[in-house]
Amino acid sequence: MIDTFLSVLRISLKAIMANKMRAALTSLGIVIGVAAVITMLAVGSGTQQNMNDRFSRFGTNILYLRQPWNLDESISSPKDVTMDDVRAIREVKNVVSAAPYISSGFNVKYGITSTSIDVLATDTDIFKTYDWELDTGRAFTEREVDTYAQVAVLGASVAQTIFNDVDPLGKIVIFDDIPFTVIGVMKKNGQGGFGFDMDEGTLIPYTTGKVKMNTGWNSSDRRALDRVIIRVEDINNIENTKEDIANVVRNTHKIHPLAQDDFQLDDMASWIEEAKAASKTMGILLGVIGAVSLLVGGIGVMNIMLVSVTERTREIGIRMAIGATSADIRLQFLAEAVTLSCIGGLIGVLLGVGITLIVAAHSTSIPAQLSIISIFISFGFSAATGIFFGFYPAYKASKLTPIDALRYE
Amino acid sequence: MSLIETTDLYKTYTLGDVSVHALQGVSVSIERGEFVAVMGPSGSGKSTFMNILGCLDKPTSGKYILDGIDVTATNLSKLAGVRNRKIGFVFQGFNLISRTTALENVELPMIYNHTPAAQRKKKALEALQAVGLEQRAYHMPNQLSGGQQQRVAIARSLVCDAPIIFADEPTGNLDTKMSIEVMELFTRLNKEMGKTIILITHEPDIAEFAGRLITFRDGKKVSDEVKK
Repeated sequence: MIDTFLSVLRISLKAIMANKMRAALTSLGIVIGVAAVITMLAVGSGTQQNMNDRFSRFGTNILYLRQPWNLDESISSPKDVTMDDVRAIREVKNVVSAAPYISSGFNVKYGITSTSIDVLATDTDIFKTYDWELDTGRAFTEREVDTYAQVAVLGASVAQTIFNDVDPLGKIVIFDDIPFTVIGVMKKNGQGGFGFDMDEGTLIPYTTGKVKMNTGWNSSDRRALDRVIIRVEDINNIENTKEDIANVVRNTHKIHPLAQDDFQLDDMASWIEEAKAASKTMGILLGVIGAVSLLVGGIGVMNIMLVSVTERTREIGIRMAIGATSADIRLQFLAEAVTLSCIGGLIGVLLGVGITLIVAAHSTSIPAQLSIISIFISFGFSAATGIFFGFYPAYKASKLTPIDALRYE
Repeated sequence: MSLIETTDLYKTYTLGDVSVHALQGVSVSIERGEFVAVMGPSGSGKSTFMNILGCLDKPTSGKYILDGIDVTATNLSKLAGVRNRKIGFVFQGFNLISRTTALENVELPMIYNHTPAAQRKKKALEALQAVGLEQRAYHMPNQLSGGQQQRVAIARSLVCDAPIIFADEPTGNLDTKMSIEVMELFTRLNKEMGKTIILITHEPDIAEFAGRLITFRDGKKVSDEVKK
């Protein structure tokens, strides 16, 4: 059995090596297909890994309260999310902190340097909600929030851009036309959260934001907040806590018991679901691309095998005359097609792994993560392509009769 | 019982509306150890007769018994095994597989009856020795002369210990000296190894090597004589 397998393999390799250039060009389609599948899957799973990292850094114990983006028609006049909601939510069991969140883009100036930044107007709870750490200086205090103080805590990249080597503490920066005193600078934290990247942003008291800078905010009502960011204590109880928060907000919004919510409460799980759906779509797309390139490669294999059968008709006749059965001939040509596409698959795997390693080493923006499974799957598919597209030529060869094949010139 | 026994073989080819009667009632019996030459002009039916005797084709009607096997009752796929065990072929064009060493060409029939690799090599080397080519075992066909290639083909016909060798114009592509070498080899295989040799030729001096001469004309056997 092993003996037969080895001799079949040897005959296949010999036939392939007899036409090296042709074999190389034929398997190129498979090489490209397999390499593309491996590289794309690696980038795909790298991207997903990257996303998971961001989610986990951001914390799954965070809830977001906001007005729904797509309002249901049955909700006639949704109430804004306000500080009343924030205060009520802070009383809910299992809630650690709840921070108001209003963000907008501003132009910031210091001396002759100017840049545009995201300003987040919030209160002291933001420091309890997110695990942000101060590098120098201090956070603003409750008193500063209450007194509309014009103070700002800068993100690491912002401080670097505006002040370079100068110590920012105590300096006055101008946001559009309003002066703020820098009281603190955050540590660099890498990637930020959704819609707000602390490294590129600045924190100010929400009171100051609302009163002094109201022209900049995107709301007609000064009391409106973009969101409330809520941190819960015990993540296992997050569902109960969500219900409690919803009840409290329905109460402050005075919603009729039979009416629907006029707000939306999201947690990380729903974000993750969305991201998973997106990456699934991407996976399907990559699979289709891989399947198409393997299909094209497979047609190339079939084409060349048909040529090979015609060219070697006489050889088939000789083999049949000296005792090869139809099954022996079929097996031989099938083995040749499979060997050809497996060689293509193997080179494709090496190429794909190589490209992935190069991308991973030289690019920070494209994360790439090799998966052993993708290597096996794409190699397996290349072998399957050989069987599928090699079958017809092999069948055709096996149907020749020995005298016709021997007479063929 | 004869090694080869044919009774009333007919073979008719239909080409469109025309029927060609290639064989019209041929009955021949050949004993073990005979050296038979078959002669006849082109279109006499001798090639058709040889294809049927060599189990490469089946007659339209008639009966053919080869070493006790009723070939006419056996389907074509089983005949591959019969060819492998009972018959060695030697062709005019040598029909070796190119880019494959002499040794591997000789081993080929044994691949199809699943002989273990080590035994294959041993028997192939013995067969090459029998034709005097053991020194050329690792040469490719295109590195060998015509006579040497034909001797490799003869070695290939020996490896499965088949009792019969069919030689279809084996000297057709060879010069006189090489032709005589090859024919002397056949004679030796016939005498020393007891092989039954059936030879197709249209050269009378080649047919001289055989002990019996069968002549074909228009699909019929016209003469069958044993030399003294």
